[in-house]
Amino acid sequence: MRALGERFGSVLAPLAVVAGLLVLWQAAALVVRSSYLPPMTEILPILGGLLWSGDIYPDLASSLARLFVGLGIGLALGIPLGLVSGRSRAFENFIAPILAAFYPVPKAALMPIVMLWFGAGDLSKVLIIVLTVSLPLVYHAQQGARAVDEKMIWSAQAVGCGSLRRLRRVILPAALPEILIGTRVAIVIGIIVTITSEMIVRQSGLGNYLFTALDMGQYAMTYAVILVIAALGFLLDWAFETVRRRLTPWAPDRLDANLAATP
Amino acid sequence: MVDVLKRSYSIVLLLAVWEAAVRLGFAPSALLPAPSAVAIALVRDLGEAHFLSDLALTLYRLFAGLVIAIGAGVLIGIGAAQSRLGPMLLEPLIRVLSPLPKIVFFPAFLLLLGFGSSPRIVLVVIDAIFPALLAAYFGARAIDEKLIWSARAAGMSQFACLFRVALPAALPSILTGVRIAIVIGCVVVFLSEMVAPGDGLGDALIRAARGFQTVQMFVPLVTISLLGFVLDYAVVRVRNTLVNW
Repeated sequence: MRALGERFGSVLAPLAVVAGLLVLWQAAALVVRSSYLPPMTEILPILGGLLWSGDIYPDLASSLARLFVGLGIGLALGIPLGLVSGRSRAFENFIAPILAAFYPVPKAALMPIVMLWFGAGDLSKVLIIVLTVSLPLVYHAQQGARAVDEKMIWSAQAVGCGSLRRLRRVILPAALPEILIGTRVAIVIGIIVTITSEMIVRQSGLGNYLFTALDMGQYAMTYAVILVIAALGFLLDWAFETVRRRLTPWAPDRLDANLAATP
Repeated sequence: MVDVLKRSYSIVLLLAVWEAAVRLGFAPSALLPAPSAVAIALVRDLGEAHFLSDLALTLYRLFAGLVIAIGAGVLIGIGAAQSRLGPMLLEPLIRVLSPLPKIVFFPAFLLLLGFGSSPRIVLVVIDAIFPALLAAYFGARAIDEKLIWSARAAGMSQFACLFRVALPAALPSILTGVRIAIVIGCVVVFLSEMVAPGDGLGDALIRAARGFQTVQMFVPLVTISLLGFVLDYAVVRVRNTLVNW
């Protein structure tokens, strides 16, 4: 019964929220009657057509490819950096001020500058994603590594575990729940920065598709693409949360985890 | 001062390496201006009417958005935490809305509100409201119930309880949320001005990029980053004086 209640909380309640928002939209559109605010009954068929025709898939694929490559590199860089800085005072003193200074910088706004160096292609966009997602990853890995029980490290030392082996076999697993929370933040912020940099440098990707529809005055299409990206953001977060809860069921459910990061 | 320098030596080192790399010709200054060149340009621009009007516009959008987001977020958060129905309504809403990439709604705001300041203010509101709301909500939920009971037993009305007991008790958590909201607000207002340029600091970056004026591209970026940093620090100071228990 309790499991059923929880399932209601995690699946049905959000669905009810989405349905409620769509109904609210429909009502607002019927009251306002403006071509800038088409009703859902007009947007949803266009959304269906968009997904059926596959016209949006190349842009969807290029956005997702950049996002995942950026996330992969960010994880490979951020987690070791964070773990080491969580265990080494000297390294933390070195890296913390740089992270603090970089935190309020609008990362997607670096796009025109990075383009001067690496061109307007995938390299620049992936670089921006890596820079953005690395911050929460380093931060959370650091928090996780710092909180590891000292006795576990002593025991590992006592049985002759070297420092690199200790990092991999003791500190990494102990810090895993916090690392996965950082990964969730990275995914959410990664989508935002991917879309935003595509809106700033319009060439390919979902952000570009969205503004192309807007510039051509296809308003119902604009809203349909908004729904696609919003659904993508929600689904990626939801999918990762499902995996995260399976992997670390003892970790706290944090509703406020995806906030302290900036695109 | 020496202490601050000692603690942030890596930043000083980074800037020094950057400056040296440009001066010694390892990095062409047309592609990567020296930090000193950016600093000089920033100081000079602070005396230019055009830059100041961009700055004023961005500040107006930022603060209008932040005031609404923080005000509404704190009220809703505390209200929901103190009511019985609140969590049931709020938590699913947060689950759906908070992971969404809010910037995708910006084109809709442009359509509905035009290309002026209001769509950017609304974007700041929907991005900055979540940290404020969540901090207030969880801060107020973590209050010792006995505080509320004693206040109610002493004859305080439920409404007065919100402002005289719940708000001060949740204040440390709220100020943490405000810090995040401020930095997110700075970033988002700037990005909105780059995505749909027209005026403001973000537009100044786009204009400089079109003219390949590299130094001038860095000036607005450094300005908004410094603004976020300084405002964040200011809230930390306020927090330390207000919350001294």
